[in-house]
Parts: sequence; C-alpha cells; structure tokens
Amino acid sequence: MKNKTWKKFFASPKWVTVAWVVGLIIVWELGATYIATIKRSPQNVLPHLWQIAESVFSTQKVNGRQTAIQLVLSNAWITLARAGIGFVEGACVGFVLALLMSRFRAIEKMIFPYLMIIQMIPILGMAPIVLAVTKDIDKSRILIAAILTFYPVATSTLSGFKAVEKEQHDLMYSLAASRSQIYAKLMIPFAVPYLFSGLKIAAPLAITASILVDTLQGGGGLGCMMSQSLKHAMSIYVFWQIVFISAIIGILSYQLMSWLEKFFSNGRPISKKKLSALQVQPAGKAEVMES
Amino acid sequence: MQRLVPDPNRNNVLVPDGVEIRIEDLSISFPDKNGSSTIHALTNVNLEIRQGEFVSLVGPSGCGKTTMLRAIADLQKPSSGSITVRGQSPREVRLQKKFGIVFQSPVLFDWRTVRRNVCMPMEVQGIPKPRRTKTVTEMLEMVGLMKFGYKYPHQLSGGMQQRVGIARALAIKPEILLMDEPFSALDEFTKEKLHEDLLKIWHKTNKTIVFVTHNISEAVFLSDRIVVLSPHPGRVSAIVDVDIPRPRDLSVKQSPEFTALVAKVRNSFEEM
Repeated sequence: MKNKTWKKFFASPKWVTVAWVVGLIIVWELGATYIATIKRSPQNVLPHLWQIAESVFSTQKVNGRQTAIQLVLSNAWITLARAGIGFVEGACVGFVLALLMSRFRAIEKMIFPYLMIIQMIPILGMAPIVLAVTKDIDKSRILIAAILTFYPVATSTLSGFKAVEKEQHDLMYSLAASRSQIYAKLMIPFAVPYLFSGLKIAAPLAITASILVDTLQGGGGLGCMMSQSLKHAMSIYVFWQIVFISAIIGILSYQLMSWLEKFFSNGRPISKKKLSALQVQPAGKAEVMES
Repeated sequence: MQRLVPDPNRNNVLVPDGVEIRIEDLSISFPDKNGSSTIHALTNVNLEIRQGEFVSLVGPSGCGKTTMLRAIADLQKPSSGSITVRGQSPREVRLQKKFGIVFQSPVLFDWRTVRRNVCMPMEVQGIPKPRRTKTVTEMLEMVGLMKFGYKYPHQLSGGMQQRVGIARALAIKPEILLMDEPFSALDEFTKEKLHEDLLKIWHKTNKTIVFVTHNISEAVFLSDRIVVLSPHPGRVSAIVDVDIPRPRDLSVKQSPEFTALVAKVRNSFEEM
C-alpha cells in the first residue's frame, strides 16, 4: 500500500518539481554557509534564505518612510503597471500586424524582415533612444515592454493563421463566406492557441525588459530600486527581496496567460500537434503547456 | 437556364431536360510540384448528371476524380471545356450556396461544439438564430447524433465526426451534395451503417449527389450510375448503370446482380 503511493508519486511530474525546489534550496544554503566562512559581509554575496525571509517581516524603516517589503512592493507595482500596459499595447499591435501580414502578402514581405531587426537590437541599446524620443520615463518603459511583446505575438499569431488547413479554407470558400467571416469564424479562433503561445513568451519578457531598463534610469520601479539598494546602504535585503519578487512576478505572468488560454479555449483541447509546429516555442515551455 | 428538349409524349412541347450538372469537353491540367512538367488531371470529359441522381466517380488514385468534383464545386478552374450546373456556372451556383460538400476528413472546427459546427454554414448565410437552432436539431436527428450536440469533435469517433460533416453540409439545404471519399477513413462496420444512413437521407431529401470513391462495392451499393475514370490522363473509361431496385439494404450485397455489377466495374478498370 505504502509502496504504491510512493510509486504514484514518482510517476507524477510533481516530484520533479519538488526535487528541483529542494535541490535549489540545498545548493543555495550550502553556498551561503560556505560564503559565510570566507566573506566579511556574506549577506552581500549570498545570504541564507531564512535571512531573506526574516527581512520580509522586518519593521525597520529602510528609507525613513517604508519598511523593506513596502518599498519593494510599491516599486514592484510601478514596474508591473508599466510592463502590463506595454504588454497589452504590444500584444494588440502584434495581433493587428499578424492580421495585416496574413491578409496582404506584400506587407508581410515588406515589414517582416525589419521586425526581426528591431528584435535584434539589445534593449539596453534601445532604451536611451526610446527615452530621448518619448522624453518620459514612464512612456519609454511602456514602449520598450511593447516592443518586446509585439514580435513574439505577431510571429506566432501569423504562423497560426498560416497553419489553417487547406480543406478548412475550401469549406469556407464553398460556403461563399466573406473575408471577414473567414477571419471571424475560422482563422482567428484557429490561431488562438498560437496567439497564447506568443503571449506566454512575451509576458515574462516584458517584465524583464521593464526591470532591466529601470536599472539604467531613475523614476522608480524594481530595477531602479535594485541598483539603488546596491549603491546606497539602505538594506541589502531590499536587493534580495527584489530578486525573488521579480522571479515570482515573471512566473505568475506566464501562469496568468495559461489561465487566460484555458478560459478562452473553453473545452477545446490544446492541440499538441499544432503547437509543436511552432518554432518560437522554447523546448522547456512546451511541457508546461501540455500538462 | 436549363436546356429544353422535346417532350417525348407530346408534340411541339419543350420541357427541361432534367440535367443538373453538364460537363462538356472538360480538361484540367496543372503544373506538377517541381513546376517542370504538366499533369493532365482530366482530358475531354463529357458527362451529364441528372437531377436527383446519385452518381459515383470511381477510379484509381491519379485519375482526376477529386479534381472533377472540385471543378464542379468551383474549387478548381477548368483549363478548357465547360461545366454548367442548372444552366449556370459553378461559381454562380457556389455564390448562391447551393453546394454542400463533405470532405475526406470531417474538417470540423475543434473549438466549436457539434451543434455549433453544424450551425456554422447557416451563420455564414446570415440565417436568424431561431431558425438555425431548429435546423441544427433536425440535422442532428437525421444523422442520429442528438445526444452529442454539446460534445466537442475530439470527443467523438471518426464515424460520428463524419456524420457531423454530413449534417453540416445538409444544414444549408443544398441542391447538390458533393462528397469526396467521405467514408474512406472509416472501418467497415461504421462505413456500412453510414451507407444505409446516407441512402435514407438521400431518399428523404431527394438531392443530387456526386460521390467520389475508390471503393467499388461502395459505389455499386450507393449509386444510380457509376462513372469509371482512368488515369494518365484522366478520362471517362466507362459508365455503368446500377439497376438494383431501391430502397436497398445490406442484403443487396449478397445478390448475384450486385456481384455481377462489382465485377463489371472492376473489369472496366482492367481494360485500361
């Protein structure tokens, strides 16, 4: 009986997750213990996990007004709002672009190669230019999040439109469906899983970009706080809290997209076959989606 | 306009000739995949299909039977010759939404329930919702899927999916039903059941059916006439009349006439 439950546990993918988490904690703690023996201020290099957890509940004001966690969360909110707005804008632009590219071959040929070039410019190189153009810290970060979002959304949605089967097109043609009907009844619903695989890639990207650009410029946000916490002696634990909060936000943003996908695909199976044809899909994420 | 012919029973009276689909000198060719040579899918095909008739197009792969069906449905442009459907071009007939097509794979939308799949062509036509709902129920009753209306396609067996495809094709009350090897992917038992059901539906609705298949006994069981096509280049090599009385049931398959007809069709293959 007991043996059986163990077998079940090891057969499920859950134990892999558990093993990973436990493994990471062990490695982290081993590292922290070692660092503590050789460094004078080990918390700057690698504090113990319990020290970070403790700092979350600390009531000590780090900047005269807020405790560490209040400071981190208020800045997390700023980052999240910028990334969120940029993400939604970028997703809309990406979707419309995909529509246009699927509708007009000429547009696809004309702009697709250049979209890729925009994608190749490092965010850190793009940030000062965008700031110079927008002349506004908030706007510049929203714009950068949007730029990073629209490309994966546009490409994956476009590949969704292209993956519609020939017979499905024949069916709509034989019914003398108008072009807008073909999009509304066939192509857009068909491309929904593709759209979401683009959104799942883009969501953590938008947040990462927003944080990264924060570190360069002022105006609050997680990245800004992060560099300040390293430079000024407010509390090194602000830095460590930001590290964890950023990771959590990134994962949650992906998770949110998965939930939305489930919601929008009401009852329909998320086809493995179709999505495996998607090249923008990173190998690791495919497994998460199938489970 | 339909062509008029003298009434055999009355003097000097012209009546419509009852031809639903008239194919004259039809040739279709297209470049092959490499673009280096031309495939002659059909050459100089002549055929008349009467109103309410069940005609099968039979032949080995590459004989152009599917191409011919697609040409009737305006999914493929003829290279030369003409097709008229009730005196009109296939394009006009398609725009009037008088074709129902059943494909080899069911081509269902996996994000729609069975009911909403059957409903889809009517949405395209702009039929008001109460009438759509009523028709969907009628169609599902006809194909025996009333219990499965709220299931998704992936929850159904292959045979059931193909029934949904048939229900969807019939939902817009087409004049002509075009079927492209609709049962070829199904097992023998499911196939026989669907054969009987299709004949029942045909008797009830009285549509003209053009049925493409490579299965000779299927063609003999279902059809009024069998058009045997031969490949390279595709052309009509024989037309076999099936005079087995209707209504037919599965016992027909044991009759000597049936066996004789199957042999006749098969022989016309071998003569190629």
